Amino acid sequence: MNYKRFIFYQGTIVMASSMIFPFYILMLRNVGNSYSQFGWAYGLFALTAAICYPLIGKIADRAGDRVLLSIYSWGMALLLLVFPLANEIWHVYLLQIFMGVLGAVQKNSEKTVLARHVLKETAGKEIGNYHIWTSIAAAIAVIATGYLVDFFTISSIFYIASALFAWSGFSIMKKDKALPELQT
Amino acid sequence: MKRYLMLFIYITFLFLSIFYVTEQSAEPIAEDQSRLLPVKMKAIKATDSTAEIQQVVLDANSQGDSIAIAGMQHSQGGHTVYPDGILLDMKPYNKILRFDAQEKTITIQSGATWSDIQDYINPYGLALKVSQSQNIFTIGGSLSVNAHGLDIRQGSLIDTVESLRLLDANGEILILSSNQNPELFQAVIGGYGLFGVILDVTLKLTDDEMYEIHSEPLQYDEYSDYFNESVRADEKTKMHLARISLSPDSFLEDMYVINYQETEQEDLPMEPQKLKQETLVAVPKFFLGLARLNEQGKKVFWNTQKTYSASIDGKLISRNNVMRSDSEFMEYSHPENTEVLQEYFVPVENFEAYIDDLRDTLIDEDQFNLLNITIRYVEKNEKAVLSYAKDDMFSLVLLINQGTDAKGIEDTGRVVRNMIDVTLDHGGSYYLPYFGYPTKEQMAEAYPRTSEFFDLKKEYDPSERFMNIFYEEYKQ
Repeated sequence: MNYKRFIFYQGTIVMASSMIFPFYILMLRNVGNSYSQFGWAYGLFALTAAICYPLIGKIADRAGDRVLLSIYSWGMALLLLVFPLANEIWHVYLLQIFMGVLGAVQKNSEKTVLARHVLKETAGKEIGNYHIWTSIAAAIAVIATGYLVDFFTISSIFYIASALFAWSGFSIMKKDKALPELQT
Repeated sequence: MKRYLMLFIYITFLFLSIFYVTEQSAEPIAEDQSRLLPVKMKAIKATDSTAEIQQVVLDANSQGDSIAIAGMQHSQGGHTVYPDGILLDMKPYNKILRFDAQEKTITIQSGATWSDIQDYINPYGLALKVSQSQNIFTIGGSLSVNAHGLDIRQGSLIDTVESLRLLDANGEILILSSNQNPELFQAVIGGYGLFGVILDVTLKLTDDEMYEIHSEPLQYDEYSDYFNESVRADEKTKMHLARISLSPDSFLEDMYVINYQETEQEDLPMEPQKLKQETLVAVPKFFLGLARLNEQGKKVFWNTQKTYSASIDGKLISRNNVMRSDSEFMEYSHPENTEVLQEYFVPVENFEAYIDDLRDTLIDEDQFNLLNITIRYVEKNEKAVLSYAKDDMFSLVLLINQGTDAKGIEDTGRVVRNMIDVTLDHGGSYYLPYFGYPTKEQMAEAYPRTSEFFDLKKEYDPSERFMNIFYEEYKQ
């Protein structure tokens, strides 16, 4: 995996997750309807992530970042296929737990790739540049989805995001021989 | 390679997911669909017990409360709400009480939906005689608005009701039919919940049949003759539907018709066709979304509708499946806009002249966002006191996108009143379940028995126990 592809990959998955996160609330409103349920849904997400970080950290050094990123992508792609089927609050809680695990995988891997790639002297500039592209991707996704919801159903938004994740997983698994130093 | 394996697994799950999502039947949302009349109620009562409904009425009597009766709340003129009143939500009151496959009758509580009946009777090879094209409404609601549908042979909804039980303002249960309490029966069908609570209804059913779809394009000036000669005169045609273009290049000129014709079959009961579920909501929703945007979008929408209607020509569909057409794709949520309906009835022979006048009325209304017009046929039937079918008529259902603010309501109201004037000029009438745009004078002209209707209300419910905004606005 070369760095350019990594940025492209991150752009895609940030786009996909920005599509669903703000609008995910709409679905929570349909399924649950109290603030405490909202709190629990997001709390479970953060809690599972916290529990998983130590393990993920270890795996990252042994198995490599690319493996983890592809687990994240395919995991999210499959998980989003279940979203349109959720109609009870406990479905949402369960999905949030899985999302917590996957979210931790992504957060950790994003940082380890950056840590392995950037030079200490220019880290600020490089990470700054990295954030520009992922933020642009997020902005485009959120704005575009706002319009999409008017045309499609909420379920189709989940499917579109799922397809984006699948595509990102598919492309990150592609072998390349350039820049072997990033292949762990 | 691993990634192709993953892709394969993913696609398998994708199809599984889509399959299960489409299997999950769509539960309609219970709120006044137009969102133009948010009303604060005192309380909402919902129950599946007859005794409790009776108690609600008795309590309201002793406390002097008003009751507004609600089903799916798709009427848009405040027919199911009244400020500070008790909202009686009939949806949980939905049991099937009796079914006789030989006699072809079913007795069902009024909160059940047409879909509930279809699910129940389809395996027996039976079907509804008359219902709306969509099946999401409650039986009680449809009777109270005197609904009509695609069928052109089975008469009106009132003819399919063998009898019904009504809980009146005194808390007493009466049996109504064309022989028993006929005066009240004819007021309750199309009575907008003003005479009491419809508890249960015995409906006459008919055989489910297999129809072949026949669709073709035509021009609006050919339509009346076409309908008389090729639809009404052709005994094999059982159901009929038409649409007229709103595309800027053929505005109110191009049309297409869809006929459902009985297929040649032996005198054996047909194998029931599986009831269809709503699928691919996203596709029609997308094209309807385009039509909302601008003229170009309306052109694309019309072309898609035409292409689709041509593509179903020659296909087979069961009667039950014709009577459960899609509606979910029309659900629309926008912070500032909403979608409302209008429906106008015009005698068959006046159609051409009427459309010409309607076009003149609408041609300069650039801000009036009309999305779709569907045309059906209603046979003359004046049994209901508030009957719109004063003649053999075409009904035109208009889907309109409008703003929810004061200006949106004012602008749409002006255009609607103009359209109703044109309709009345051609001997027509309009449908009452929609937003209160029409004037009292327009109602009196469209419904010659308006004052009789309100007199009956005063006679049977002198203390105005059953109230709604529609009555408040139009009573005389």
